[in-house]
Amino acid sequence: MTPTQRNTAIAAALAALTLGSAAAAEEVLKIGAPLALTGGLADEGHKQELVWKMWTDKVNAAGGIDVGGTKMKVEIVEYDYQTDGKRAGQLAEKLINDDEVDVLMAPFGSGHTKIVAAVAERYQIPLVACVASSTSVYDQGFKYLFGTLAPNSGMTESMVAEFKAKMPDLGTVAIYGRDDVFPKSMATATSESAKAAGLDVVYDELYPVGAIDHSAALSTIKSLAPDWIYMTGYTQDLILGRKQMQDLGIEAPIITMVTGPAYKEFTEGLGELADGVTSSTWWHHATGYTDVAGAWSSTDAFYQDFLEASGGEDPDYVHGSCAAALDVVADAASRAGTIEPVAMRDALAATDMETFYGPIKFGENGMNQGREMPIIQVQGGEIKILYPENIANAEMTFLE
Amino acid sequence: MGFAQILANGVVLGTLYACIAIGFSLVWGVLNVINMLHGSFIVLGGYLTYFAWAYTGISPVLILPVVAVLLFGLGYALQYLFINKVVSAPVLTTLTLTFGLDMILYNLMTVFFTATPRRVSMDFGRLEFWGVAMPVDRLIGMGLALLLTALLFVVLRTSRIGRAIVAVRMDREAAALMGIKVNHIYAVTFGIAALMAGAAGSVFAMVFPVTTNLSGVFLGKAFVICVIGGLGGVSGALAGGLALGIIESFAGVLVGPQNAITIGFVLMLVLLIVRPQGLVGVKGYE
Repeated sequence: MTPTQRNTAIAAALAALTLGSAAAAEEVLKIGAPLALTGGLADEGHKQELVWKMWTDKVNAAGGIDVGGTKMKVEIVEYDYQTDGKRAGQLAEKLINDDEVDVLMAPFGSGHTKIVAAVAERYQIPLVACVASSTSVYDQGFKYLFGTLAPNSGMTESMVAEFKAKMPDLGTVAIYGRDDVFPKSMATATSESAKAAGLDVVYDELYPVGAIDHSAALSTIKSLAPDWIYMTGYTQDLILGRKQMQDLGIEAPIITMVTGPAYKEFTEGLGELADGVTSSTWWHHATGYTDVAGAWSSTDAFYQDFLEASGGEDPDYVHGSCAAALDVVADAASRAGTIEPVAMRDALAATDMETFYGPIKFGENGMNQGREMPIIQVQGGEIKILYPENIANAEMTFLE
Repeated sequence: MGFAQILANGVVLGTLYACIAIGFSLVWGVLNVINMLHGSFIVLGGYLTYFAWAYTGISPVLILPVVAVLLFGLGYALQYLFINKVVSAPVLTTLTLTFGLDMILYNLMTVFFTATPRRVSMDFGRLEFWGVAMPVDRLIGMGLALLLTALLFVVLRTSRIGRAIVAVRMDREAAALMGIKVNHIYAVTFGIAALMAGAAGSVFAMVFPVTTNLSGVFLGKAFVICVIGGLGGVSGALAGGLALGIIESFAGVLVGPQNAITIGFVLMLVLLIVRPQGLVGVKGYE
């Protein structure tokens, strides 16, 4: 074989391969996912990976999704972006250009979602975010971005109103938040909601990312003796914060930690100290939605499957929201009758469905609207739902 | 709020900080290696303590010596097998090597332990005197930190191996000429640093939730503390740790917690300009 002949042969082989994969691509809905599988957000990245695998296994085992009369299998193409925002953007481009995915899923958190959203918008590929709740992500006029979490402000207003109803002489609140996209926006939103409701915000400070001690702030809060302490942060911050409250002898009738109790690690890390802590969350597996569309027909069906897949671990809102996000994608593909990106985008915008995770209907900015987010409380080591009333299963208890 | 409470918070925090920094300072002072693995050693010590406690129920105070010995072995091996090969190269080479080793260790921990925050959830309660509330676990941590520091001080001062470490630190060539096996001393020093990091991790597992994410935070703290306190001795880490703890505690109350860490860095910068050897550092080790 001369070099030219060999080149021709290689070219022919490559062409055959390309044609082969193009033919296969018609049968498969390719979903791209830059995931934080290593680095600081590895824990969260693995949660997304787990439920997406559960979802694809379940849907593919049932033959796939119905798109324009043909059954289409679903494939997730994932890359580890190592919790490095810049790399998440690069990998999103790779997924679009090299892997030719039809839809993208956003990584964990508002910050990284923002980066990937800019890439998706540039290439006009629909992007579904399941763990980004800061309105600032959706306020950029993006047409291809959709999010299954609801705006933060909805959570804080209903929480202030509910606590005032349960504790009529509630007067003062201390707010202590992590200086980071989501925790900061929750702290700010709560401060505004509390002031609007006539509460006296006696302490309103942020702590930096990487703080490994809260005794200075908590000692100040102790001297102010507020009725309600509201702290935001990630699980390790909140475990430390709650423990240091105990260490310093701080007591308040209401202690809220966002989103601490939504995670099992929080109650495990604190033991009895977690009792009585309230929080708001987007979803909890104790919410009993039944007769719904999507891969699972009820919250309990999802919960049972999850227990099996995780080896007995409980799911949290990240699992719920991310699994439901794929229900949204499948639903949009079915309604569009094609996986062509522009048609998919329009179908996504028209989404109005009930899932095991609750209702999903996107507003003008692409965020999920019309969800009454549960207020939860740890009682006897278990998560109880205090609000909304139609799914509540316990009365609120006070800490002192 | 009481001055005494802020001071007490600062002192306890400062002792824990000293505990973070001591091994880092030793390696930097003796080997002239900026050990990027240090934060991950602490996290590894914390995880080993947590899992040993979770599966056996043995008190972390008793687990600590075992973890410390294991970390000594790991530190000795790493230095002997890898770092010694490049230890006399410019500081950037060893920094790059330890950085690479750190990425391996960090990611192995994420794979095997996951990044889930874990805490030894034993509640020892708190003591209150003169209006100052002090958690018992932090007091135990402080006691252990002081004990370990004192022990290291005595070892460096009086034991044969300690004198050899100090000799190598002062003059590598002269020490070699006196018959000291420099490579062995380097490995022992690195082992001791890892031992101190592992012990600090055990202490921290009782006080903080341990997660792999903290390794960078610990490393950053160690760096600042060494610069503030000065290299070349046990007293530098102690002085630097206490100074940083007390400053962060007061700054947290006076200018708000989001600015407390900045104040610590400002202090570090000022010291670099006016007193580069640190608060109690020996001149020549800046």
